[in-house]
Amino acid sequence: MNLTRRKWLGLASAFGAVHLLGRQTAYAQPAPLFVEVPPSSSGITWVHENAMSPSRYLPEALGPGCAFLDFDNDGWMDIFLVNSGPSDFWKPTKPVRNALYKNNRDGTFTDVTEKAGVSGAYFGMGVAVGDYDNDGWPDMFVTAYGKCILYKNNHDGTFTDVTEKARLATPGWTTSAVWFDYDNDGRLDLFVCSFVDYSGVRKLECGNNKIGRNYYCVPRVFKPTASFLYHNNGDGTFTEVSKGTAIAQALGKGLGVVATDVNNDGRTDLFVANDTVQNFLFVNRGPGPNGRWNWDEIALQAGVGFSESGRPRSGMGVDAADLAGTGWQDLFVANVDHEMYSVYQNNHDETFRDAATTHGVARSTRLLSGWGLKYFDYDNDGAIDLFLANGHPDDMIDSYSMQVKYKEPLLLFHQGDDHKLHDVSDQAGPVFQQYFPARGLAIGDFDNDGAIDVLIGNNGGAPLLLKNTAAKGNNWLGLKLEGTQCNRDGIGAKIYWTAAGKKRFRLKNNGGSFLSSHDAREVLGVGSANKIDELEIHWPAPSKRIDTFAQIPINRYVRVVEGSGVFG
Amino acid sequence: MWKPILLLILGLRAVAPAQTPQELIQDAISKQQAGDLAGAVPEYRQFLKIQPEATAIHSNLGAALAGLGRFEEAVAEYRTALRQSPALPGARLNLALAYYKMGRIADAATQLTRVHAEDPKNDQAVLLLGDCYLRMGQDKDVIRVLQPAEKTHPDDLAIAYMLGTAYIHEKQVEHGQVLVDRILRNGDSAEAHLMLGTAKMGVQDFAGARDEFAKAVALNPNLPQVHVLYAKALQLTGDSDQSLKEYKAELAVDPFSFESNLQIGAMLRQEQTYDEAAQYFNRALQTRPGDPAARYQLAVIALDQGKADDARRELESLVKESPQFTEAHVSLSIAYYRLKRPADGKRERDIVQKLTAEAQAKQPGAKAQ
Repeated sequence: MNLTRRKWLGLASAFGAVHLLGRQTAYAQPAPLFVEVPPSSSGITWVHENAMSPSRYLPEALGPGCAFLDFDNDGWMDIFLVNSGPSDFWKPTKPVRNALYKNNRDGTFTDVTEKAGVSGAYFGMGVAVGDYDNDGWPDMFVTAYGKCILYKNNHDGTFTDVTEKARLATPGWTTSAVWFDYDNDGRLDLFVCSFVDYSGVRKLECGNNKIGRNYYCVPRVFKPTASFLYHNNGDGTFTEVSKGTAIAQALGKGLGVVATDVNNDGRTDLFVANDTVQNFLFVNRGPGPNGRWNWDEIALQAGVGFSESGRPRSGMGVDAADLAGTGWQDLFVANVDHEMYSVYQNNHDETFRDAATTHGVARSTRLLSGWGLKYFDYDNDGAIDLFLANGHPDDMIDSYSMQVKYKEPLLLFHQGDDHKLHDVSDQAGPVFQQYFPARGLAIGDFDNDGAIDVLIGNNGGAPLLLKNTAAKGNNWLGLKLEGTQCNRDGIGAKIYWTAAGKKRFRLKNNGGSFLSSHDAREVLGVGSANKIDELEIHWPAPSKRIDTFAQIPINRYVRVVEGSGVFG
Repeated sequence: MWKPILLLILGLRAVAPAQTPQELIQDAISKQQAGDLAGAVPEYRQFLKIQPEATAIHSNLGAALAGLGRFEEAVAEYRTALRQSPALPGARLNLALAYYKMGRIADAATQLTRVHAEDPKNDQAVLLLGDCYLRMGQDKDVIRVLQPAEKTHPDDLAIAYMLGTAYIHEKQVEHGQVLVDRILRNGDSAEAHLMLGTAKMGVQDFAGARDEFAKAVALNPNLPQVHVLYAKALQLTGDSDQSLKEYKAELAVDPFSFESNLQIGAMLRQEQTYDEAAQYFNRALQTRPGDPAARYQLAVIALDQGKADDARRELESLVKESPQFTEAHVSLSIAYYRLKRPADGKRERDIVQKLTAEAQAKQPGAKAQ
């Protein structure tokens, strides 16, 4: 052994603790469940610019978000992709812009960004799509490090930046955002996750790693911030209403948010995944005596704030759905490697129990870091499944970890007859054998075949469009809800459908995943049933109207208009 | 490193009126010396029915039982012997050895402290006491006990290793370096790789540490703590599967390795195999009675299993002892809420928020650069 005195003196004695790591996989498969649609086929040639610098400024590591939206109302899902941009730590040497791709209805897309006027101007992060002005056309809110942008849809294939006019010029570093109607006045309000306070500390360099370069700082070192809740005034403007509420008091490092109703009281709640500090569960308690809205932050007592060892985790992606089929919303959070992801089962009393181990999710995700994700019924058998997009935030992790890699595999879980999630990634197709620096994930049916497809934003790379081939043989009904008294998007509606003697339920949540926004339509899977015997829509307040329909033909999309009926 | 002490019978009184007891005891001693411990034990017991005050025979029986791995019974015999004759030569050291074998490291240290006080030149007691302190994480005591021994036994690598490790833990790098140099002079030894790996861990060179520990394991898989340190380095470099194997390997060498029991228990608890996890935590507590980390894990298992009041009791005790133990406050808050004590739950939650804010304020990014 060769150890000199000098070498020895160079070694310090303090033990540090950095938890890094990985996953091993082995695949081999025939009939794929999802098939990659390559850029040569789709025409989507846009590539995310992560602006990766030798200094490794943290905003570089987070994007991009993505969305499925029908911006031109032609009934076909278009695609929006968020890019980075000029910032106080990066001046692009060549043009960098977002991308809006129009669906050509033949499996290809056309870049219409310039014409649409949605190129962006800041270091973009994510996107939240919602019809905030109830005009029937989707608008977009783009989050960023720097400044957010609200793009109002002009109904002619173009958008207008109305951020200042709408009073939504949110400062700092915003990530995921979600449209929802917290006060049930029929207009979509906006919640915007704020990540860390990066102002004035952007030059903080997180040391030299084992290969002598800077690495991305763990967000633990940065100051937490409060997220923002904006009330829709109904006149094209918004008012920030979080001040004085639990939302402003809860200092976090928000990355993911889903709007749902955890206690079935008809008021939409918010579940926020935070990185390195506890998650937040903001329960909507309705109007308070002083005119201020009441929010309770109950994540700790609900059992969703910390790990079961009482430690905050690195929460990133998040979602909610009635996974167990009990009529109550269950939650999901993806964390960083070795923290396990969480499958929070609703105990129906504003508490949850982490069933990730029971579902096999803990074991499959032990070495992964999860961002974009979604609970949805990918095979239209009527039960909720799960899709996870993963990737380690540290691009140099491969150099000093034996198991954890920067690029990670996608994961697909199918809900079996035992009501448990089963990892079927090994059988899901070649794309599940590949590795990606995945971040945002959006779901949407871009070819209108009733099988929900997936779009993934890769950090510093091309997006990944996956066509769903798993739902063949199962029947479905696609709904486009149109509120007339409630918000136009019907967010918060409860959908009950009965087919072949089985009654199922879905709450129209909004948000979920990471930095991304999804096809606003709901696809109801009915398996082998050849019709839907009964469909019930419980519209959210203010009307709380219940519309009931019988004998609905299947395997097509329909519009359901509040109080008016079903339209083919 | 150390070996059990077999007491020989001295001054055995004649057993009147018959020769039978004398023959009995001579036969038992012969069997014990010949290695037939199972044959010796019943004869000792039979003899002690006749002569229960035969202090040395209790001690001999203890040694035979210890040799058979029946440590609980051995401890009882040693204690009887020491009650009858507190200064009985070797009995206390044997009692300490039995405790050590049982993983009752703190009890072993208590007995060894007495042996060391009464006989400071007893090298075996010194070495064993140093080892106990090292296992209990009492590095300052390791240094206190082994520093003089190292001066009189400068070539003893075991002492150099333990003392050097304690120095490194205590950040006394210069002192540690002297001992490392001494070990390195002896060539490619497991001890040297172990200390080098420990030092590399200190500068967060986990991959380097992992490689050193791997070499140490290859050279001497029975070196105390070698598997634990290798397991830690593996964990920190992302190989948790191999890490688990190494923790288990340490338990094969030392069933009462605190770190191994704690870590394996934590992994099992994460897998929600609560009963098995509890066994590991309880064994960890045998090595380090009252250890907050092991007690916390057991409290959380109770909480997970719906025994909120059991959890509350332990957690209240923990936060009283360690007011900065944030995780315990989190779990205690949850326990209170589950027990429908929201005011107490909120109080704990406020403490969590205060502790979190304090920790956050210490982060470099909390201040503008």
